[in-house]
Amino acid sequence: MLVGIPLEQSNSVIKPKDCASEMSEYIVAVAEERCKRSFARVFSYFAPRLRSYALKQMGNEALAMELVQDTMSNVWQKAHLFNSEKGSPSTWIFTIARNIRFDMLRKLQNRKEDVCSDDLWPVLCEQTADANETSLDEQITLEQIGFMFESLPVKQKAVIEAIYIDGKSQQEVADELSIPLGTVKSRTRLALQRLKGMLNDHD
Amino acid sequence: MTKFHPAPEQLSEFAQGALASVESLMISAHCDMCARCQQVVAQQTVLQAEHALMDTQDDPATKTHDFQDDSKLDSMLESITQLPRATPSKTSRSGSRKIIELDGRVFTIPRTLRKYVPFMGNWSSLVGKLWQAPVDVGVSGVANFIYIGQGGSIPEHTHRGTEYTLVINGEFSDGLNHYRKGDFIKMNESDIHAPYSDDISGCLIFSILDQPLHFTAGIARLLNPFSHLFFRY
Ligand SMILES: [Zn+2]
Repeated sequence: MLVGIPLEQSNSVIKPKDCASEMSEYIVAVAEERCKRSFARVFSYFAPRLRSYALKQMGNEALAMELVQDTMSNVWQKAHLFNSEKGSPSTWIFTIARNIRFDMLRKLQNRKEDVCSDDLWPVLCEQTADANETSLDEQITLEQIGFMFESLPVKQKAVIEAIYIDGKSQQEVADELSIPLGTVKSRTRLALQRLKGMLNDHD
Repeated sequence: MTKFHPAPEQLSEFAQGALASVESLMISAHCDMCARCQQVVAQQTVLQAEHALMDTQDDPATKTHDFQDDSKLDSMLESITQLPRATPSKTSRSGSRKIIELDGRVFTIPRTLRKYVPFMGNWSSLVGKLWQAPVDVGVSGVANFIYIGQGGSIPEHTHRGTEYTLVINGEFSDGLNHYRKGDFIKMNESDIHAPYSDDISGCLIFSILDQPLHFTAGIARLLNPFSHLFFRY
């Protein structure tokens, strides 16, 4: 038992809708303050439910508990990736558990080279946190921007090339060029604005 | 407009994580290109989550109060809160590429498949304006990018096992249907078709043959006069 953190009964009668906003707040508190008390609430609500899901899926107590532990560890460590505008806590936690289960089953079959869940459902990628930055990218085809791209300042061009053509993350580009992440973000934004401006002129 | 989608049950099972690797991969890549199916998967995921985690009030598994379980969960909670905050991982997407090139043409690859572009072999020119590049996707099965130039065609053939095809760019017909960008096609042993493309810019498809392991390349070669063009090991 954790001192100072009361574990609540898991089957307390909370309606799903109320529960979603309450649990959202706890997860945000975990993300922002690493609040153990809030995490204990999330844990006591979801861990028994995950356990029963896991038992059905894995059919084995030890594997089920491993699935619960991995899922809840991710909630604790990656709470900052939860976005209440995108979905409810139960959906988010379910997708984490589903992904872990998908990978566990393949590992059990000793298929190391197999497809991994992150490729199919990028639930816990840092990338998805600022996916809105890529929305412009979806509207512009590479063919369209080809010649406009050439007219970008060299530094912006390097960043855009690495991110949009080589598919690197902004963090990877920052590391490679030894510049702060913020600089990569601002160069990306400036370059996209410039490209967008040119496209508008072009129309 | 994309016209050929995975079946609703396939999308639901995909959302549950219940499908095999190859099928999951192809459905995921289809959803990258299809807003409709993306939405269906999102809705299914919400339903699955509710079903898995919220409807458990009457479930004996959560009701039974086992003190041993409680203490296991208590110690689990304690060990989890000792863990440090996760550091952003850098490994995940390094080496993926968004585009592939053939003969001066540039194609944007759907997100799910980008990871495999570095594992793509060289393009080789086949008969009838066909180009093919093998891709090592690490699963059992044979994956290829296939480009059908304008007026190009693939000889009529049947399938051994199940063949999944996704149209990445352009259009093609196969005597049964006309397929466009984003279309998802699943064919099995009973399907016979002869794809050709009249598209002025040709057609790029990604295909995986989910071959049962007991089919060796040698046997496939003997059985299928067409296969020696496509299935090199
Ligand atoms: Zn679709």
